[in-house]
Amino acid sequence: MENLGYLLAAYTIIWAVVFGYVLFMQRKQRRLQRQINLLKESMQKQNSPTLPNP
Amino acid sequence: MKSRHILRDNILFGLGFALMIAALYMVFVYVPTEKETGIVQRIFYFHVPVAWVCFLAFFITFIFSILYLWKRATKWDAIAHASAEVGIIFATLVLITGPIWAKPVWGIWWTWDARLTTSLVLWLIYVAYLLVRSFATEPERGARFGAVVGIVGFIDVPVVFLTVNLWRTQHPTTMIFEGGLATPMLMTLLVCIIAFTVLYVLLTVQSANLKSMETEIKRLKSAQAEQEDIDLWRT
Amino acid sequence: MLTELRTKEVVISVLVFALLVVVIFNFAFSTRADETELVAPGILWTALTFGGVLGFNRIFAVEKENSRLEGLMLCPVDRAVVYWGKLVGSFTFILAVAVVITPVFLVLFNLPLFLPKLALIIVLAIIGFTAVGTLFSAVAINTRARDIMLPILFLPVAVPVIVAAVKATALVLAGRPWGDMSIWLQIMIAFDIIYLVVATLVFEFVVEE
Repeated sequence: MENLGYLLAAYTIIWAVVFGYVLFMQRKQRRLQRQINLLKESMQKQNSPTLPNP
Repeated sequence: MKSRHILRDNILFGLGFALMIAALYMVFVYVPTEKETGIVQRIFYFHVPVAWVCFLAFFITFIFSILYLWKRATKWDAIAHASAEVGIIFATLVLITGPIWAKPVWGIWWTWDARLTTSLVLWLIYVAYLLVRSFATEPERGARFGAVVGIVGFIDVPVVFLTVNLWRTQHPTTMIFEGGLATPMLMTLLVCIIAFTVLYVLLTVQSANLKSMETEIKRLKSAQAEQEDIDLWRT
Repeated sequence: MLTELRTKEVVISVLVFALLVVVIFNFAFSTRADETELVAPGILWTALTFGGVLGFNRIFAVEKENSRLEGLMLCPVDRAVVYWGKLVGSFTFILAVAVVITPVFLVLFNLPLFLPKLALIIVLAIIGFTAVGTLFSAVAINTRARDIMLPILFLPVAVPVIVAAVKATALVLAGRPWGDMSIWLQIMIAFDIIYLVVATLVFEFVVEE
């Protein structure tokens, strides 16, 4: 069981990096989706603006 | 865009997850410990697939770079870009797990042999790819320049490998990779390669989607700005 | 006229830089007589490589400031011709630097001065450098980090040329015949051909506006 530390280190790093990337992408997706929704809302408001006061 | 591919994405995710579990089982339970180097040798079963996927990723970037320059479809550029991003992550993992494996087995962290050196140069080329894209003055330029680097860089890889190989054979090394794998080892390796390829597809598809979303946002923003200009002009 | 003057400035400053590299590396490595042969080729090619990269950047920066590139693009000229024009210009530039630096280098290291084999190696390597460097300069100039972008792009891709040039130079300095170094010359020739072709094909995508 010698060198177990190296084996553990290698596998931990692989999983940490891959999961880290997955988390990063998830957060980015949420942020981008929010932006898209906001933009779509504001564009709808633009296209049907409230009438100005006479 | 989301609802169309949900079934495909879920199947892919399920498959990838199952394959990874199978791979882990095979690496840690099924395959026997290698006689000479002991338990550390199991790093090999992830290190090699990661290296293979890294090369596949850059090949995909190469192909889609050519396609993008030909047809200018932003979807293709998104795939090229995403593949390079995932590729760099895997290349980094290769460069980290390699020395971790080498130190207990060969006693040294690094050697300038053909495979390691080419991996390092490959890493540098694709870092340059990502930097060019992020330092470009406009997104369209970034896509175009990236495509050029993706093509030129990929062509360089075999040349670098052959050259360094030749360079190193003049200095005989003591690192000889024993060929010939026992069947259980081969099976384990194959399962791991397939598992990591599915993982690559998952990550790249997801990343490409994000890049398409970013492009969509830019499009919406400029459409909104145009609309504001029109409104201003009207009033 | 002004461009030519600026180009001369660039040549001189790159020459000085290359010379400094040679001098500094001399201090960086041991200079015992029996060891200089080991490090000499590396020092020469480090000086030429880094001088070349610096020079590329400056030359294309000068051109861009004078907006010559835009002017050229207006001419109904095939992009490949533009590339080859720049190529010849850069090649001449680096060749000029090499022609001056190499004899100085040989003298500083007490090596024989008349080495036609070395001349061939230098020419082949410079062709490779300029093939890649011209293409990447056009890319780097149009990014926000133009000075650092060129070395980052150029150096990894140029590795085969550098390796081959250093090995071949070492063989020349050891007085070996053509046969020994033919494989390195072949690598450089192959690299040159591959990249001249690829860069010619791809250059138009870099400068389309």
